[in-house]
Formats: sequence, structure tokens, C-alpha cells
Amino acid sequence: MMEWGLFVIELQNVTKKFGTHTAIQNVSLTVHKGEIHGLIGASGAGKSTMLRVMNLLEIPDSGSIYVGDRELTTRSKRELREARKRIGMIFQHFNLVLNKTVEQNVAVSLQLAQVPKHQQIDRVRECLRFVGLEDQMDKYPAQLSGGQKQRVAIARALANEPEVLLCDEPTSSLDPHTTSEILTVIRDIHERLGVTVIIVSHEMNVIKSICQRVTVMDQGTIYETVPIESSGIPKSDRSPERFIKELKNDA
Amino acid sequence: MPDILLRYQAEIWQAIGETFIMVGVSILAAILVGLPVGTLLYLCRKGNLLENRFVFSSLNLLVNIIRSFPFLLLVVFLIPFTRLIMGTAIGTAAATVPLSIIAFAHYSRLVEQSLLEIPKGVIDAAVSMGASVKEVVFKFLLVESRSGLVVGLTMSTISFISYSTIMGVVGGGGVGDFAIRYGYQQFQTDLMLYVIVIMVILVQMIQFIGMTIARKIDKR
Repeated sequence: MMEWGLFVIELQNVTKKFGTHTAIQNVSLTVHKGEIHGLIGASGAGKSTMLRVMNLLEIPDSGSIYVGDRELTTRSKRELREARKRIGMIFQHFNLVLNKTVEQNVAVSLQLAQVPKHQQIDRVRECLRFVGLEDQMDKYPAQLSGGQKQRVAIARALANEPEVLLCDEPTSSLDPHTTSEILTVIRDIHERLGVTVIIVSHEMNVIKSICQRVTVMDQGTIYETVPIESSGIPKSDRSPERFIKELKNDA
Repeated sequence: MPDILLRYQAEIWQAIGETFIMVGVSILAAILVGLPVGTLLYLCRKGNLLENRFVFSSLNLLVNIIRSFPFLLLVVFLIPFTRLIMGTAIGTAAATVPLSIIAFAHYSRLVEQSLLEIPKGVIDAAVSMGASVKEVVFKFLLVESRSGLVVGLTMSTISFISYSTIMGVVGGGGVGDFAIRYGYQQFQTDLMLYVIVIMVILVQMIQFIGMTIARKIDKR
């Protein structure tokens, strides 16, 4: 296992352009080990690009990216692939393989890490139990709700015991109730597994509910990074009584 | 069974056999060459994993050139090449050469098209999990596009049957050639019509089998 320093991820003077458009400009950021770090900003502010350079899903034009105490940008392709296996990632649109069952979707990340076959099934079960989907192993993603799909994606990202979980707008295509559900799972991952979480969202309530430090981005640069007291995940009640009450109380 | 079919039974069976050989080899060429070429076209495209302008443009041009030939001219044009590798340009075996060439070009386009339909996010997920290009192809792309690949192969197979009917010009034989020589040229229009019916049934069967398989393996 790798040695991890005080920080988990550090970006130094990173610039990424898409054609003539500069997505992020000379950005430096340190993510502390064991925190939940939020990235917020208007669309086009560069927050997703910033997240995607952290595992080199986008190759930066200049600058360095350290994960642990090793630089990612100078590694060979093979070393980079190994490093990526220690960094989990989830997405707004879940990005599951729709022709694989829930079980196969999680198992594929173990196959990529060359985990022996007989250990795979136990680990798959363990991860699916963590996200509460152990009884849905044989279903296909098309048979699941949005929240369930995101939980499968989380189980898949957890399978190789990552030190870091990158979340790219993880709740942006979910309703408020399901958003709370997914945020609870993410907080559990942080608390029970000690995983460092970096979460990109344009939704202020998502960022405020679980983050401990938040970086505000503007036009491809960091505006400011502030520590916050996380407000907790709002309870979401979907009972008809609650809907009526809210309709009558609030204007 | 109409008398005329019974009279030509042996010839018809031989012709069907020749068609099966020609179409069978075309399908093999489509899978063994067309599938990799189509995948490479996809991977080398701008913005994709193996982005490579030279490889993409070369393959793209090659596939386009082969496909823009009127097939009859391609067969004639390829005669020297066919003779070079088969020793002869005449007969069923020789006929498989131009058929294989159009087959791979035809199917590689359909493969490329099926792969382009896969949401890019699936590839992001694969790469973020540390997949190599080979793993992305085999564990993600081909799995996700499998029903499109089967639909494409079904369509291609039907085209190959159509292409194979032309092979009479180089002595390739086959059902189409039989219909022309024994039906049309000997003024036995009924025989020609019966052969057409046989081909319609054959194509219907292929279409049905292909679509059934494609539906069964599509879980999206």
C-alpha cells in the first residue's frame, strides 16, 4: 500500500484548455486527508474539470498533480492506471454498463484490479451491502431507480478500497429525497471507511450539508477556499401529509 | 413441390451450398477484420482514447473507397489481386476474395456506428477505474454495444447475400447466378420466381434470428 502524507491531493499551477477555451487557469489546491471537500461555482466555472484532472481523466496542459506524495503527471501509463484504482469516482449520470447486472458492474472494477475470482463475489456482496442493495444483485441498471443506480456506482467505486472518492455532481439528476439518501451514503463512506471525499456540485444545499471545506470557483480560477460547519443532511419526508402541510404553510 | 424445382434439385442444392460458402466467408471476414477495423476507427477518432489522425484518416479513406465502388466493378478491378492470392480469379473460392473485402468495409462502418452510440460517460467510468484501452474495449465497449453489433451483422449478412448474386460473372455460382442462368436466360421465368421466393425466405429467417438475438442480449 502507498504511503499517504498529510494531504491526499495537491494541484500545483494546473491549467487545462479545451481548444481556445481555458477551463481552469493556473489553479493550485490542497485537499486534506480525511476531509469532505466541496467544489462549487456557476456552470463553466471549471469545477468539473478540476475534479477530472485529479485522476487525470483530463490531462492538464501544464502544472502538477500529486496524489499521496507521488506525482501523477509524470507517471507511466501503467503506473497511472494503478494509481487510478486507488481513486474511486462517481458521476452525475452514474455511467453504469447497462448490459451488465448490478453484480457484474461492481465486479468489473475488481477484475481490473486483478482480484482473484473467488474473492470477488464476497467483496461485491460486501460493497452492495454497504449501499443497501445486496438483494438487487441480479438486476440490470434499467430495472433500478436513479438513486439505486447511483448506489451501484458508489459500490463499484468502493470495491477497490480507494483512499479518495471523487464525486462529479453526484445528486444533480436526483430528486431531493434521493439526494439525501445518496448524501447519507457518501457521509457514511467518509465516517466509517475514512475515505477522503471531493464533491463537485452546483447545489448549495448539497455542499453545505456534508462538506468541511469548500472551494468556490469562478471563471476557471479559485475565488476562495473556506472552512464550514456542515449543516447536516436535510431529512426528507415524502408522506402525503407532509406535502399538504408544506403546501399550506409555505407561500 | 413444383416439377421444375424437382428437376433442378441437384443444381439448386449446389447453388445454395455455394451461396453459403460465399456468405459464410464474408461473415467471417466481417467479424475477423471488420470488427477490429471498426473498433480502431472509433478509437482513433478525434477526442477518443487512441486519437490518431493519420490512422483514422487512412482507414476512413480505405473503407470509403471500397464502399464507393459499384460492386461489380470492384470484383473486376480486384481480379489481378484475387489471382495473386488464390492462384485463379474464377470459381467459388476466388469469389470469396472480393466479397471478403466489401464485407469488412461494410461491417466496419456499422461497428463504428454502434460504438459511437455508447455514452462517453461509460468510458470515463472505465478509465477512472484504471482500465487499459484493451480492457475498455473488451469489458465495456463491446459489452455495451453488443446488440447493435448483432443488428449490424444481420444487416451486413443480408447485403452479402445480395452481393454474392453478382459473383456469377467470375464463375462464383450461387443461388443468384442459378436464377439468372437457368431461370432468366433459359426463359424459365417460373424457375426464377421460385428461386426468388427461396431467397426471400432465407433473408426473412436471417432477419428474424438476428433481431431475436439482438433483443435478447439488449438489457439497456
